[in-house]
Amino acid sequence: MRRLKRNRVGHLISKGSERVSEMTENNHVAVAEAPQSNQEQTEPIVRYRKVSKSFGDNQVLKEVDFDLYPGERVAVIGPSGSGKTTMARLLMTLEKPTSGTIEVDGRQLWHKEVKGKLVPADEKHLHEVRGDIGMVFQHFHLFPHMNILKNVSVAPIKVLGLSKEEAEERAKTMLDKVGMSDKLEAYPANLSGGQQQRVAIARALVMRPKVMLFDEPTSALDPELVGEVLDVIKEIAAEGEMAMMLITHEMSFARDVADRIVFFDEGRIIEQGRPEQIFTAPKTDRLQEFLKRFELNGSSS
Amino acid sequence: MFLRTSLYYQAFDGGVIPISVYAQIFPQLLEGAFVTIQLLILSAILGFLLSFLGGIGRLSRIDPIRWISGFFVEFLRGTSLLVQLFWLFYALPLLGIKLAPGLAGILALSLNYGAYGSEVVRGAIQSIPKGQTEAAIALNMTPRQQMWHVILPQAFRTMLPSFGNLFIELLKGTALVSLITIPDMTFEASAMRTNIEANTPEIFTLLLLMYFVIGYPLTLATRWLERRFSVGRL
Ligand SMILES: Nc1ncnc2c1ncn2[C@@H]1O[C@H](COP(=O)(O)OP(=O)(O)OP(=O)(O)O)[C@@H](O)[C@H]1O
Ligand SMILES: [Mg+2]
Repeated sequence: MRRLKRNRVGHLISKGSERVSEMTENNHVAVAEAPQSNQEQTEPIVRYRKVSKSFGDNQVLKEVDFDLYPGERVAVIGPSGSGKTTMARLLMTLEKPTSGTIEVDGRQLWHKEVKGKLVPADEKHLHEVRGDIGMVFQHFHLFPHMNILKNVSVAPIKVLGLSKEEAEERAKTMLDKVGMSDKLEAYPANLSGGQQQRVAIARALVMRPKVMLFDEPTSALDPELVGEVLDVIKEIAAEGEMAMMLITHEMSFARDVADRIVFFDEGRIIEQGRPEQIFTAPKTDRLQEFLKRFELNGSSS
Repeated sequence: MFLRTSLYYQAFDGGVIPISVYAQIFPQLLEGAFVTIQLLILSAILGFLLSFLGGIGRLSRIDPIRWISGFFVEFLRGTSLLVQLFWLFYALPLLGIKLAPGLAGILALSLNYGAYGSEVVRGAIQSIPKGQTEAAIALNMTPRQQMWHVILPQAFRTMLPSFGNLFIELLKGTALVSLITIPDMTFEASAMRTNIEANTPEIFTLLLLMYFVIGYPLTLATRWLERRFSVGRL
């Protein structure tokens, strides 16, 4: 576990963008320590290259390069409208990039190779690659006509082809993990927002994705319910198996959970680095400005 | 004239207690009722299938499918059921395709009500929040699975009241097929009226009642279905 984590930092610095390598002394030490033998693991699980996205005249992402490494936990922060959600939606194939490429585990996501040329992916290709990605939404989007157990077991049955027994077993394990195993028969409408979001997390986890996207998983919750969801996510993050991209406005949560913080503004990555560095010694004016606004909003607690 | 008189008097000649006029009318209407119910069930089934075909077709990502279903739905909704019925029954044979009256009736009814039904299906599918489809995509469901396991079960609940209405509309619409010689309930009533004109009020009162007796259980059945499909909703 500890070794894995150190590797991760090593990858970041050797393979990440230039800004990442402008990091503190400690991290440079980590580079020196990164074992060479694990070189094959240093390939990113997700690789955005020059990814742009426009909605009409509105260019939301501007040639973004971004790598996510296996097991790495990245928190994405930034002002409203800066393109964070769009980044995640492109990877989940809910939105199509205007230009650029995204690779997942070495395979092109939005393109497919035909006779050495990249052509736009079809539904079949998306289906093959998308299986590595899972997503938790701001507004949960549980299936209201299915009870909790069914919500979590339907995709393992239909998509992974597990038997009903196997799928329900897996679903129960996941529901147990998020503390919802006493509500198997309940319907989403009868649960609190925090409970719904925990079920939604179990529903995504049960598919065993290599990359999990969380898009402001607590923004739609009443303040008193935020904690229970963040705790569940922290627990999953601590297992360190999946790469995680956490879009969040909860700064203290980002600091606690993430290996790396990525600051977005106006469709670009402005600054990124380790949490300590980002929160205590932000380099760019824009990040300083952004974090200052946050303290004023009372999130310093 | 002759028939009318004989029937009329027969009613009083039958015995010491005159046989009620209704007892005369009822069996013949009942015969028609079976035809009406058959028409109703067969066109409802076919119309229901066509509703989904048209409704999902209009939402297809494939352009030609969307155009073709759009054209058929709009054309069938935009023209009169009676004229469609006449076209199938009188015009089509001259083009070389001769349909039995029953088939022409079922076809016209199911196409026409199917067109309305497809708008119900389309509207209900579109009323399901986009987040549902997105959640299904995030679970890597295929488009077919998204539709079948996530969208349609929810949309179906929304469709039920409208389908209930259409079902009753369809029942009433079946009366038109009497005009292409199908001996349904209305046909029988009209036939009797020409025979025993004096009893016209009784004939048509009973006819109304019988339509209601068939139609009201349909209303009750849809309500029951709505309740059954509202699991999980507050
Ligand atoms: N489907 C869409 N159609 C048109 N414009 C869109 C669409 N989705 C997003 N946008 C626009 O793209 C921009 C970036 O949106 P995005 O949701 O990615 O921002 P965000 O960083 O997630 O913001 P927030 O913190 O408010 O969630 C916004 O200006 C938004 O209005
Ligand atoms: Mg967002």
